[in-house]
Amino acid sequence: MAMYRASGLRIMQQLRRRIPAELQPLQVVKAAPALQTFTSQRWTSTTTTSGKHASPQVTTPPPRHDWNRAVSEAERIVGYPTSFLSLRWLLSDEIANVALHLRKLVGSAHPLMKTAKHLLYNGKNTMQAWGLIVLLVSKAAGHAPSVPDVEQDKSAGVLHSQRALAEVTEMIRISHLVHNSVVNLQSSTQAGQDVDTYDDMSFGNKIGLLTGDYLLGHSSAELANLRNQEVVELISSAVRDFSESEFIGERDEQNNPLPYKPGTFQRPSLSVGVDFNEHDVMTPMPIAQVLGNPEEEWECRNILNAGSLLGKSCQASLKLAGQSEELQRHAYRFGKHLALAWQACLDAEPFQCPQLPLDVTFSLVSAPVLFHLEHDPGMYSQLEAGKQSVDNIDYDKIHKAILAGPALAKTKELQRKHTAAALAVLQHFPATDARQALENIILAMQDL
Amino acid sequence: MACLSTSGRVVCGSRRQQTHKLLYQLLGSRPGYTAPSAATGLFSPPKVQQQAMRLCHGLSFSMGKDYPDLLQSPHKCSQSLQYSQSSKANLRQHSSVHTQQPAGPVREFQIDPYIILDDDLKYFYDDVRYLLKSGTSQPELDTIASYYFDGQGKALRPMVTMLMAKAINYHLNNESHQLVHKQRQIALFSEMVHSASLVHDDVIDQSDFRRGKPSVNALWNHKKVTMAGDYILSIASIMIARLRSDDVTIVLSQILTDLVQGEFMQLGSRETENERFAHYLTKTYRKTASLIANALKATAVIAQADDNVAEVAFQYGRNIGLAFQLVDDMLDFVSSTEQMGKPTAADLKLGLATAPVLFACEKMSIGYASKVASRRRNDDVFMVPAVKYPELNPMVMRRFSEPGDVERAFELVHKSHGLEQTRFLAKKHCNEAIRLAQELTESPYQKGLQVVADLVINRMK
Repeated sequence: MAMYRASGLRIMQQLRRRIPAELQPLQVVKAAPALQTFTSQRWTSTTTTSGKHASPQVTTPPPRHDWNRAVSEAERIVGYPTSFLSLRWLLSDEIANVALHLRKLVGSAHPLMKTAKHLLYNGKNTMQAWGLIVLLVSKAAGHAPSVPDVEQDKSAGVLHSQRALAEVTEMIRISHLVHNSVVNLQSSTQAGQDVDTYDDMSFGNKIGLLTGDYLLGHSSAELANLRNQEVVELISSAVRDFSESEFIGERDEQNNPLPYKPGTFQRPSLSVGVDFNEHDVMTPMPIAQVLGNPEEEWECRNILNAGSLLGKSCQASLKLAGQSEELQRHAYRFGKHLALAWQACLDAEPFQCPQLPLDVTFSLVSAPVLFHLEHDPGMYSQLEAGKQSVDNIDYDKIHKAILAGPALAKTKELQRKHTAAALAVLQHFPATDARQALENIILAMQDL
Repeated sequence: MACLSTSGRVVCGSRRQQTHKLLYQLLGSRPGYTAPSAATGLFSPPKVQQQAMRLCHGLSFSMGKDYPDLLQSPHKCSQSLQYSQSSKANLRQHSSVHTQQPAGPVREFQIDPYIILDDDLKYFYDDVRYLLKSGTSQPELDTIASYYFDGQGKALRPMVTMLMAKAINYHLNNESHQLVHKQRQIALFSEMVHSASLVHDDVIDQSDFRRGKPSVNALWNHKKVTMAGDYILSIASIMIARLRSDDVTIVLSQILTDLVQGEFMQLGSRETENERFAHYLTKTYRKTASLIANALKATAVIAQADDNVAEVAFQYGRNIGLAFQLVDDMLDFVSSTEQMGKPTAADLKLGLATAPVLFACEKMSIGYASKVASRRRNDDVFMVPAVKYPELNPMVMRRFSEPGDVERAFELVHKSHGLEQTRFLAKKHCNEAIRLAQELTESPYQKGLQVVADLVINRMK
């Protein structure tokens, strides 16, 4: 554990040196408090923490469900500064190179910059939480007695292979985010015609593409080293799901999703949820069956976009631990519902205040918009303005309309549904401090 | 003749003499009769003469004296292209009547890898397309992902992979269908990874044409194209995971990390002049040769061959891959756009200094290059005093970014010995590949591996 702590600090210091100076103010100001809390907690808890004993803070849950606190508690339980899990890859030579190149892009409008900042810091520390969830689920489930001692990290109660898997999960997720920052420069598009910024954009695309590929390549190497082909299969299928998610439905020039025109699907679509074929990971999500039903369609889109990776990673982690198929399925469901609950929470966020904040937009396939379209199909005519670019849409107007309707309440309902489902699945796991930490995270999310 | 029948090939170094010897024997000519006139003479029976012509043509490119002609006369190139097609037709004829042919060296020499692998390669692209289709419910994703699997490519990687697989199976005396099927999946993987890298390259390089048709980035949203590349990779990984061999997955995953590292190497050009060539070769290994080398190694691993055989497979693939890329870099200077299906001098336009340019630069001593490329001695070509153009150095450093750089560099490379030296280096790698192939038990596939080395060095597109 001491080693991990030391490496966390070292990573942070090295990162500071490597990150372009232009990004530094943001980096130092925003990340420093996190670092402080992280280090102080680590140091003070060293003596009290050992594998199974829950510290008093965990057994008496915080009175108010505070997100940051729930996450730090959880990190302590798995004995690893997971906030840095996703940043370790930044230290390779290739990425150091990228950091140099990124400097050229500072000040340009390339979305890669936004993604980079978002990765280094975001308001609710959510980016880092994924690997943490995988580790907590791993610890909550424990492992089969057949697993040899050398493969265990005794102090943290997870296997080394599970740690590697958690890291792979984050790398794949970031690679998808980075690949999604590529700008469409086809000559028929606005971005393709803008001569002034074309070179910047083209260069940003190159860096983004290579960085994403680097992460994918390294995840596949790490996966291979786990020496478990079922796990490789499962996680590869999650990569497939990510790419599939970017093809569903109509898109503007920059591939931002647009909702289907109400009435596109005449036949009554399924209202029971669909999911992957448990017996064949190659079979894609049968999304065509649910198109037109706002809730089910939203669910499918976001399973592909998020739930698949988190669910399949949790499942794969239990595979590594030699757990039963049944518990693996529970782990998948837990990850899926947690990701969906989290997505519903994010979708609702722009609608929490009566006036849409400046420079804030929202996805046109987010739950509130889809629910509102069902309630008032007439709003679609306003969304048609976004066919070329979603920037042409009057977000304020739509924001107002949605707030006046029932969509936000339905979104909250949706979040509660998935939160409850995640909590219910959790009951299949033995009561441990790790399970408690997962519950705390879910409850904290609800209060966000 | 005897030498041909045992090795199935002609040793490159003394090829000219052997060709002559061969012609004498084929034409039944007296000693003292000169080979060139024999080839054009009309006295021999038509069939024998035809064969003689073919042999002569097949070998002609490896002779030093033909090389300048090749550079200067595109006409000749196209002839040879037509020629190679007719040679395929002839071979088919031969195989259908092979009982009437004298058993012997002539036919063995003409082993065409694509023909002996017909069973494995016939439905190759159909299988890839089927696989890609079965993994998604989104038609557009399927369309983009399958775009380069139209069967128009050379299919070099799957062909070499299958040749090595079958040569190894013969060597190990294990030719079960199940094993061949698994090895074919590895061949599928090699082609899929290659295409995925092409798809991503297209977004990076923004070129409009590839293989004689519009490239993916000209037709579709770049974001979707990026995702389609990831999709191909994920499907290929699922397929390999289903072989349930930990070691194969590990060997093949090395390909992906190498590919990306190669791309990153291509971004930088800060090396000193001396390091530049080593950098270029490492980059070439990672971007091209690693894929072939590791795919071949994987076929050995899945056949449970011992480490020595796996190493032979790996080194053979590495040498073929390096030679292939060296020839590719050379053709970028000499081929026409129609032949390559992509614009020529493309590397210069992208700011990349490949072997021909590096050889043409001054500080890059050729002796050093040979040391880097191979540990073998007796590099007679290095006796030739090379014409050097130090003015290329600043152009390399600024990645040919100033107006006129590309044209000037193109001209200087042609004036220098850069192209010949590149070709020579490629040939050395081919010879090494042939030597390695001979370590396996003799079989049609093992001979095919040696023929591939000739195909690589003599290819025109």
